[in-house]
Amino acid sequence: MNRIERIVAPYHVPSGYARGDFLQRAKQRNRRIRLRRLWRGSVGILAMLLIWQAASQILGLELLLPEPLTVLRNVVTTLTVSDPHWLYGPNIYVHLWHSFLRAMAGFVSAAVAAIPLGLVLGRITTVREFVMPCIQGVYPIPGIAWIPMAILWFGLGDAAVIFVVFATVFFPLLFNAEAGARLISPTVLDAGRCFGARGVTLFFRVVLPATVPYIITGLRISLGGAWRMIVAGEMLASQDGIGYLLMESRFQFRAVDLMTAMILVAIVGYATEKLIVGTIEKRTIEKWEVQPS
Amino acid sequence: MKRRSVLGIPATVTLTALRSARGYAADRIRVGMLKPNIVTVIYWIAVKTNSFVKNGLDVVERPFPSGQTSVGVEEVLRGDIDFCLGATGEVAHVDSRYVEAGKPPPVALFEGGVVGGTFFCLRDNLRGKTLDELRRMKLRIGLSNPSSYHLILFRAFLRTKNLTTDDFQWQFLTIGGTEMLPAMVSHQLDGFMHDALTATLAQRAKAAFVFMSSDRGDMGAQARSLPGTGVYSSRAFMGAHPDVTKRFAQALRDASAAYSATPRPEMVAIMAEWSRVDPAVIDDLYDRFDPRVGMTPQAAQIWWDILGSAMVARGEISPKLKFTDVFDLSYLQPRS
Repeated sequence: MNRIERIVAPYHVPSGYARGDFLQRAKQRNRRIRLRRLWRGSVGILAMLLIWQAASQILGLELLLPEPLTVLRNVVTTLTVSDPHWLYGPNIYVHLWHSFLRAMAGFVSAAVAAIPLGLVLGRITTVREFVMPCIQGVYPIPGIAWIPMAILWFGLGDAAVIFVVFATVFFPLLFNAEAGARLISPTVLDAGRCFGARGVTLFFRVVLPATVPYIITGLRISLGGAWRMIVAGEMLASQDGIGYLLMESRFQFRAVDLMTAMILVAIVGYATEKLIVGTIEKRTIEKWEVQPS
Repeated sequence: MKRRSVLGIPATVTLTALRSARGYAADRIRVGMLKPNIVTVIYWIAVKTNSFVKNGLDVVERPFPSGQTSVGVEEVLRGDIDFCLGATGEVAHVDSRYVEAGKPPPVALFEGGVVGGTFFCLRDNLRGKTLDELRRMKLRIGLSNPSSYHLILFRAFLRTKNLTTDDFQWQFLTIGGTEMLPAMVSHQLDGFMHDALTATLAQRAKAAFVFMSSDRGDMGAQARSLPGTGVYSSRAFMGAHPDVTKRFAQALRDASAAYSATPRPEMVAIMAEWSRVDPAVIDDLYDRFDPRVGMTPQAAQIWWDILGSAMVARGEISPKLKFTDVFDLSYLQPRS
């Protein structure tokens, strides 16, 4: 039984209608919505590309705002052709891989620290009252402001960049987990207790699933933040990675390479979000059919 | 008719007043430069010795931080500044991109100076090692930016040995000039390539020794007379304001003459104020640093032969780029 069938199944079917009619209509409606989204999205993207192309050609900005086709060609060439005159050290895959590793190291370590802490803060008022003022005091410091301190503490290298990513993504993860845990409906908790759940069981069976939508939102926001910060960190404290590539191409006055690097960050960021957060979402929210309480 | 003459009198008076006022007012120019940075100190010497005023120029200072060498050329291209004192490599990069696109080069170097200003310093425990020995060591070398003039010069030197930086096990790390010394002291760097000031500071702190210096001729005899700092503007601006450009170049030359004529303690104070370092440090570097401008066709040709060819070989600039695309020395002629 697929998802639509599961949704439709419990409802009463009026006389004169077969259950299949509802199913069929639900499927058709779903298909219509998907097509509409695809159509509107494509039109939006096409319009943006046309405006981009027009701005580049009409204003004569090919060197400051390269044409989309030129950029696309460069993206494909960068990904497929090994250029002996490539100016940016190792090939693009090495840069992307190093950026990915740093982003993930910062993101995962922040998630491991922030989510449990957020859950504790959300559920235990005493701890929250002690800890939250400190966290709220540090939170307004922008991630980029940590870079000089990170270089001082960890030196020039991966550790500094990873720390900056950690410092940036820690707070959205923590605040979302904390809000999720704090806002669980008492009715849900009481229901869990009525079924005999206590302590760890109550936490894993009731608190954690009820908090998952908030945690997922935190993960989604943080992963985007991790990619934004990795670029800033690598610009200042690294000798490879996509941030380094961006900076070097700026100094070389190669706007095509600059935009290529930006597009690659967008692609990798989107793919990472789909792969990691999407997978977690499927295995939690969709599997457990969790609704925010 | 009567009405027209009534309106015409005040209009004529106003226009005459405006014209005469314009005749006495200095031309306002916007000048960008790396600040604080010792290599652009000639600008401050010109301000302090009234060289701009004497040449009828009212200068609006538009500084940008050390290491951000590409900002200057970007601002010139956008028309946000009229002249810029800074790194020279970026001018070639920009002109090359335009030439590659089949367009005329938009920016030109018309003056330059600070010869022999490249210092390659290494940690003291590397003293006595040859370049060949160092080549095989995993060293972290600091640079102010990835397209640093000092790195280009080092690459040009390596070309004479049939080597490239790929033959070295070194990591080139981007770090601001002011942070190089703390990074050396805290063992985050094994060396750096930068200017005379950073080298002097590192030596005074006993954190490094000068392994190579263009001033000593370690990077080739010609590199000693290589201008490291350029003065550039957009060709459109220079074409529209040739007199202003000549007077700006002359003001910098006047400042250079004033540098030679001014007693050392006085000049040390001016340089310390600009670079925001202890006058004692400036006094230490005084003999190894020459901030004067004085571009000649020969010096420009040396720049082109050494740095230009190194950039072409690495693919940074197009082989189609010509000497005259990067330089326009016609504004250095004496004023009539």
